[in-house]
Amino acid sequence: MATYKEAPLATRPKTLDPAEYFNLSPDYRRAEEKRAALRAQLKRQYLQQLNNPHRKELIEDPALTRWTYARTNNNYFRPTAKTSLIGGLFGVLPLFVLYVVFKTDRDKREAKIKAGTYERPYNLST
Amino acid sequence: MRAVACQRGKMAALRAGLLTRALTKGNTPGIPNIILGTRAASGPSKDMLPGSYPRTPEETAAAAKKYNMTLEDYKPYPDDGMGYGDYPLLPERSQQERDPWYQWDHPDLRRNWGEPMHWDFDMYIRNRVDTSPSPVEWRTMRNQLLGFVGFMLLMFGLGEMFPCYQPVAPKQYPYSELYLERGGDPEKEPEPLKHYEI
Repeated sequence: MATYKEAPLATRPKTLDPAEYFNLSPDYRRAEEKRAALRAQLKRQYLQQLNNPHRKELIEDPALTRWTYARTNNNYFRPTAKTSLIGGLFGVLPLFVLYVVFKTDRDKREAKIKAGTYERPYNLST
Repeated sequence: MRAVACQRGKMAALRAGLLTRALTKGNTPGIPNIILGTRAASGPSKDMLPGSYPRTPEETAAAAKKYNMTLEDYKPYPDDGMGYGDYPLLPERSQQERDPWYQWDHPDLRRNWGEPMHWDFDMYIRNRVDTSPSPVEWRTMRNQLLGFVGFMLLMFGLGEMFPCYQPVAPKQYPYSELYLERGGDPEKEPEPLKHYEI
C-alpha cells in the first residue's frame, strides 16, 4: 500500500485506500459488512448456477431484466410542468421554428431568382 | 362459395363487435395497454420488476431488497414525473473506473451478476462515455479548447470580412493579346495596347 502512486488516469482503488483501513467507525464497518454480505450471496447464487453440471440454459440475470423493463416501459411517466415544458421545447417548438427558418430562407432565394440577382454558389459551368 | 364467405364475414364482424364490447365495458384499459402490458407467466413476477416511486418506509425497504442494495445505499430518483419510478439512483461512474484486477462475473462489463445496473449503463460501458480522471482538470481542457476554436473562428471571420491578397492584374499576352490566334482579321491592323506607363 505504501508504494502505490496514483497516475493521471488511475484513481486509487478502494482496496488500497488507507481510509478503508484506519480510523473506521463501527457504523461504517457495519454498512460495509452488509454490502459484503449481499455481494457474497449474489456471487454464491451465480457460481452455483454457473458450475451446475446439469444446467443447460442461460443464467438469467434479474437485474438485467429489471433494467430492460425500466428503460423500455415508461409506465411512470407523468405529465407535469417540467415534463410538459421539456416535451414542448424539444418536440413541438422545433417543428415551428424549422418551418419558419426554412420558409423564409427559401422565399428569399426564390425572390432573388425571380429578380435575377441570385448567384449560384456551386455553379461549375461559367 | 359466396354464401360461405358471407357467413364467415358476418361471424368475424360479430366476434369483433363482442371483443370491442368486452373491452370497452367497465374498467378495462384500452387496447394499447392490453397489448403492451401483457407479460408471459414465465417471466419475473410483478414484485421483482421496477415499480412506482416508494412512498412509505416499507415500500422503500422492499425496493432496496428487490434491487439487492442496502437500505442506506438505496436512493430513488426524485419523483418529478420523468418516468424513473423506484429505480435506484447510482453514482455516475463509468465501468472503466472499476477495478480491472478483480474477478468480475462479466469481465468486459466489469460487473457482477445481480448487481443493480445504472440507468445509463449502456452509456457507461468501456467503449463509450468514460468518467475516469483526466490528466488535466476538465475546466482547463475546456477553456483551452474553446479558446483555440473561438480564436480560429474569429480570425477566419475577420479574414472573410477584410481579405488581404497579393495585388494581381489580368494576364497579359504577347502579339497584341494574341490577336491572330483569337481569330482577328489578318488584313486589319490591331490597335496597340500599352501595359506600362513611364
